[in-house]
Amino acid sequence: MARYAMVLDTRRCIGCHSCTVACKVHNELPVDMIYNSVTTIGPTGIYPNLHMVNLPLLCMHCANPPCVDGCPTCASQKREDGVVFIEDKKCVGCLACVMACPYGARVPNHETGAVQKCDFCKDRLEVGKKPHCVNTCHQKARIFGDLDDETSDVYKLVHGENPARLLGELNTEPYVFYIY
Amino acid sequence: MSKNIDLEQEGIEVKKSACYFCHQNCGVLAYVKDGKVLDIEGDPEFPTNQGGLCCRGNIALDHLDHPARINYPLKRVGKRGEGKWEQIPWDQAIQEIGAKLSKIRDDFGAEAVATAGGTQRTDDWARRRFMNQFGSPNGFHNSHLCWIPTFMVETAIYGWCPFELDMGNSRCLVLWGQNPGAAGMPEMHHITDFQAKGMKVIVIDPRFSETAAKADLWLPLRPGSDLALALAWINVIIYDGLFDQEFVANSCEGFGELADHVEEFTPEWAAPLTWLTPEQIRESAYMYAMNKPGNIQWGTSVDQIGKPAGSTMHARAILRAITGNLDVPGADLLTGPSPDFITDEEMEANDQLQDIQKTKQIGSDRFKLVTWPGYSRIAEETRKVWGKAPTAEWMCEAHPPSVFRAILTEKPYPVKALLVNATNPINSYGETKLVMEALQAVDFMITCDYWMTPTASLSDYVLPIAGALERPTITSTYGCSDFLLASQRAIQPMYERRNDYNFWRDLGLAVGQQGQWPWETVEDAYYHRIAPLGYDVSSYDEFVDRYRFHFPEREYSKYERQGFATPSGKVELYSTVLKDLGYPPLPPYIGPTENEVDHPVLAKEFPLVLTTGGGFMPYHHSEHFQIKDLRFLRHEPYMDINPATAAELFIEEGDWVWIETKRGRIKQKANLTEGIHPRVIYTQRGWWYPEREINLPELGGCLESNANILTSSADEDCDPYSGAWANRGLLCRVCKVEASDLKEEN
Repeated sequence: MARYAMVLDTRRCIGCHSCTVACKVHNELPVDMIYNSVTTIGPTGIYPNLHMVNLPLLCMHCANPPCVDGCPTCASQKREDGVVFIEDKKCVGCLACVMACPYGARVPNHETGAVQKCDFCKDRLEVGKKPHCVNTCHQKARIFGDLDDETSDVYKLVHGENPARLLGELNTEPYVFYIY
Repeated sequence: MSKNIDLEQEGIEVKKSACYFCHQNCGVLAYVKDGKVLDIEGDPEFPTNQGGLCCRGNIALDHLDHPARINYPLKRVGKRGEGKWEQIPWDQAIQEIGAKLSKIRDDFGAEAVATAGGTQRTDDWARRRFMNQFGSPNGFHNSHLCWIPTFMVETAIYGWCPFELDMGNSRCLVLWGQNPGAAGMPEMHHITDFQAKGMKVIVIDPRFSETAAKADLWLPLRPGSDLALALAWINVIIYDGLFDQEFVANSCEGFGELADHVEEFTPEWAAPLTWLTPEQIRESAYMYAMNKPGNIQWGTSVDQIGKPAGSTMHARAILRAITGNLDVPGADLLTGPSPDFITDEEMEANDQLQDIQKTKQIGSDRFKLVTWPGYSRIAEETRKVWGKAPTAEWMCEAHPPSVFRAILTEKPYPVKALLVNATNPINSYGETKLVMEALQAVDFMITCDYWMTPTASLSDYVLPIAGALERPTITSTYGCSDFLLASQRAIQPMYERRNDYNFWRDLGLAVGQQGQWPWETVEDAYYHRIAPLGYDVSSYDEFVDRYRFHFPEREYSKYERQGFATPSGKVELYSTVLKDLGYPPLPPYIGPTENEVDHPVLAKEFPLVLTTGGGFMPYHHSEHFQIKDLRFLRHEPYMDINPATAAELFIEEGDWVWIETKRGRIKQKANLTEGIHPRVIYTQRGWWYPEREINLPELGGCLESNANILTSSADEDCDPYSGAWANRGLLCRVCKVEASDLKEEN
């Protein structure tokens, strides 16, 4: 069984939002819904001594997902391969998971009433494809793969580049990693 | 497009198509069934994008069948701009337009018909072929603002434009007024890769752009002062002995004159003009000259600085030559035109335009570089060495602002018809008020477009044009590269849309050009063009399916075998071609188009410096404001202002502000950022509001936030070599929009 993970190389990300649009278009999201935004931090400093970082955000596919624990109907689930997803028909739209998620990764769909979020494009994983956001990234700033596979790029980056996890102190153990 | 589409289902065909939302033409795989495109994705095997697609690339299916697309030929039935249209058959439209153009030719001469284009996303050799046979020299694009003057200056100096960067072997890349992080994603990806391997990246840009943020060295110069920087770099490289002595001795003419010419242009001289320190200038010159081989990547900025543009291009060209960064491994390569496939120029039928008509080309009396006088001179040299000439459509065009003025003044003669194809001049040409008056005054106007743009709305006929996925594409750097990338259409055009090629062909046949258009379809024409390559294919589509690219074997240092395509056969630092055309043979210093030194009175009234015209995601030029899946990213136009300046003017983040030059004012919202000098203002380009009424007087709000209201196309502000007008380095002022201003507007 694979253990899916994504590495975001912020050294490469230029904040072009291609991932945001690719995800939105392919998942046919309403105009007010985004699964993966990119936040630009900066420029910080005083002109001309500046610094700027682009931070792509998405569901962290935590090993200890508070959203799954917080879901009263078992709509939010974690698969063995690590993908955290929502079973639409079980979701009653109570928003407990939205409040439980410390990463703001879950968005209510006002048209259907259900909560939605990134599921690593699990339908594509089944046919051996990578998530849309990964494919579309010109900069190859999003690296996706199996963390149990020692030959995979994600394995090498996670074990070689000492990446960070967001809000690591919460013990959620995200499987989305950040290289600075 | 949905994640639920089963792309493994029976009957799906994968077409090797191309994105068409900028001229990078990234490779796209289109999944087609029963004549419908079900899904698209970036083609992982395409050498430039390697599977990547930017925001725009991803919305191809939204664009393909967007409810606002023009799908049928429309004929105006109300007053101009009133928005009353009648849907008519193509054949009727073509016959009526052809008859009208013929009548204008009979009454006023062929030169009374002009055509305006945009960027290179059309088969413009066909436009030229039509115009040449019709007899008019007055075709033009925004090409003056985008590479073409650079191409021609560089070709004058060393016989072709070294646009092919051998970056894989480079140690230093100079991005001179270019921001691939927002305007050239496939290129940015390669830059990032090579930078990780040790290539130095210098970014010259007044803004802390997406690319500047990744640079090893960022030079935030005063907008429009590039020439002072370039001259000071030459000074440092010569007087600190950093130049390539062997290359200069063996391959360059005029080094002694150049050394004398730049003696005064020290970093200390340039510092107050560029707002950089002498140390910054010296350090950057050393970085470029000492990390060899290196590249200077072209960017649009220098083409858009107006008065000093031509001289700046010359100085920048000299930098490559004196450092020996020309046509050697890792440097900027002179590919020359393809000797193997039929180039754009060879499809243009330039020999069919009579010499007397060439002399009538508007603007060619003043701006000689990219009109018939300069083009003929330069093409004569390139033919001797390469056997071929640069593409004339782009490199040899009427001067757009002068054509707009000719419409209004009938000087030097009347211009009665304007065929607008793939452009929205109200938003994309300089000095909007002039353009707007001209478009309303011209007797007869046709627009070929995807959308009812503000310009289309003022037209007599609007014709529906096939877009991305509906057309094949050959990508060959404006017809000037020795390689080509070929893509096919995914589907035939929907509704009654047609390719621009078919528009020109049909119109040609309607005005008596029988026998001159042997290719019924674009694919037929493309097959004709690639046939000499000798691939074992029997159609263009088969070439795309089986080969898709043609990359000839790379040959370095071709000048050792054939010399440079200049009169002396060497790099002419001291340019005899420019001299023959009446321009200085060495680059003189010219200040920014509007500046505090030469125009102190103006600078008191307009104390800030404006830069505009830069690309920003997710839009391209004046396009895509209709697409909701893009518009949500940037719903409104923004200008950049330093927080210190904003505080002085009581402007807060998100306030609407007026930006004003002596030509007029527009409003955009304030983005307070440290990423810009306290005395510089940056405005976004292209803005109009397709969600509003597109008819007069509202006209899609095309005057409200349109940066070209601010720009200048007056003769004295244009580059004397090419006539390129000024988007950058202008003086402006800003103030907050008050509620009372809005009432006044209404």
